[in-house]
Amino acid sequence: MTTVFFQQVLNGVILGCIYALIALGLSLVFGILEMTNFAHGEFYMLGAFMALFSMTHLGVPFFVALLIAMLGMALVSALIERMVFRPIVGKPLINSMLLSFGLSTALANLALFFFKADPRKITSGLAGVRFRFWGLFLTGERLAILILSIILVLGLTWFIQRTRMGKAMRAVAQDRVAAQLAGVNVKRVYSVTFAISGALAAAAGTMVGAMFFVSPEMGFTVVLKSFVIVILAGAGRIRGVILAAVLIGLVESLGGGFISYAYKDAYPFLLLVLLFIFKPEGLMGGA
Amino acid sequence: MMRRLIQALLFLLVAAGLYVLPRFFSMDYYLHIFVMSEIYAVLALSLALIVGFTGQVSMGHAAFYGMGAYASALLSIRLGCSFWVAFWLSGLFAGCVSYVIGRLVLRLRGHVLAITTAFFCVLVTVVMNNWIAVTNGPMGITGIPRPSPLNLGLVRLVFESRVHYYYLGLFFVAGVLFILHRLVRSRLGDAMIAIRENEELATSLGIDAMKIKLLAFTLGGAIAGLAGSFYAHYILFISPVTFSMNESINMLVMIIFGGMSTLFGPILGAVALTVLPEFLRMAGEMRLVIYGVALICFIIWLPEGLWGSLRNVLLSMNEAKRMEE
Repeated sequence: MTTVFFQQVLNGVILGCIYALIALGLSLVFGILEMTNFAHGEFYMLGAFMALFSMTHLGVPFFVALLIAMLGMALVSALIERMVFRPIVGKPLINSMLLSFGLSTALANLALFFFKADPRKITSGLAGVRFRFWGLFLTGERLAILILSIILVLGLTWFIQRTRMGKAMRAVAQDRVAAQLAGVNVKRVYSVTFAISGALAAAAGTMVGAMFFVSPEMGFTVVLKSFVIVILAGAGRIRGVILAAVLIGLVESLGGGFISYAYKDAYPFLLLVLLFIFKPEGLMGGA
Repeated sequence: MMRRLIQALLFLLVAAGLYVLPRFFSMDYYLHIFVMSEIYAVLALSLALIVGFTGQVSMGHAAFYGMGAYASALLSIRLGCSFWVAFWLSGLFAGCVSYVIGRLVLRLRGHVLAITTAFFCVLVTVVMNNWIAVTNGPMGITGIPRPSPLNLGLVRLVFESRVHYYYLGLFFVAGVLFILHRLVRSRLGDAMIAIRENEELATSLGIDAMKIKLLAFTLGGAIAGLAGSFYAHYILFISPVTFSMNESINMLVMIIFGGMSTLFGPILGAVALTVLPEFLRMAGEMRLVIYGVALICFIIWLPEGLWGSLRNVLLSMNEAKRMEE
């Protein structure tokens, strides 16, 4: 029983890592452009397909495919930001919500049209590698997710804390006009934000594709859960997002394993309601 | 005086037009589109009260619509209630739930409120899919009875044909329109608009923001519940798919399409977005792609909605005329 429990905890943490990668991108866009991007789930889906196709059509190994997907999605999302999102910066939130929803519908159905609905798997070559310790199982893929997310999160933290661009991003998040007055190129900040967010989503999508499968509709429920994580985390702190993501991963994994699997999509909402009742200022304290 | 006369004439003209409409479009297919337009008009109006007038973006409206439909279906099948009783009870039920949910979520603002209500909608769908003992899960509920015949003195509505649903729907839309018209013209309506424009300022003027927001949310939810009941007894079959979050978004698109801070806009949007997608049926698999792209173009180029943009054009034309004089 305890082994099963700890196995579920481990699975929950891995799941949380994936959610963290997705939610970090969402939280960046949310903090810097003040927009909710419902199409973020489709970035994740397209990233997974990019990795899949570069493996099947170009024959590159898994980690190269991962890099290609991240770079490719960085480019695609920066392009989408330029064409679709930039015209409505500063408009009421319902506009950006419906706009990104339209984008999400269009992308998901385009993918359905071209790639068809049958789920496919990315063969990472890591599935055979298995670790056993204290009676727990850890496949090579899951270990890779853990390591990859740690690397990406550290990289992102470094980028935001130490580079000039990161500083500019933080400035825009705090006060767009003041940043502009101080000479920050706000438009470039927007592009870079979207590029980072797309790359993180692509990494998450590729890993999920290796662990489970890739399909055109994989994005939608994930994006809602990631929004919950962003809300739980409060104002865009990286640490808060990771904590909230792992919490959601644990709740889903333990709830699905021990309470009822059918209701697993409802748990994040219940968590959100509990938070509003007992700690309205967000998980990490004052926003 | 003249103005009132013109208004009354216009009203009579519209009423007469709506009355004879089924004579010209008597095919079942057209009548179905008309009835669905009426249902969506009610839903869009009730959502406009929350989003357009009070400024609280809710993505959970389909949940109240669905709860009304399920409540009404279950009341009439399990307890043998007549439609005329179940209709009001399901509105009451949806209103009560939306009061409780409103209490919980309305202190949130902006994006956070939108996402939380979206998740509420997902939660309701999950329950509908999994609480099989009551909702029959994804299979849905079949065998919902039609409304019993109604004697209105002059006419007798028997609800065997879609025409009768159409006329009942007209009364429904007119009733909701009347109530909301009175509401938004009253002091309460002014308070709602004040909250939409600036909540802190409204509070400082002595408006109890929470109370007003809660009123709009509860009333909107209750009306959506009524619409759900009408839908259930019209289609005679309900399943969770109909009340998913996509439906909430569809309603939001309707009110932004027509323009959401008037009462005419949501009706325009509801009718347009019920009729227009019918033309997309020909596009087959690409239908939703076209819908998505159209939505993007619309938001970028007509952010104020059809009605709002038209009014802006008219206003600027007026302005130009005045300048000439």
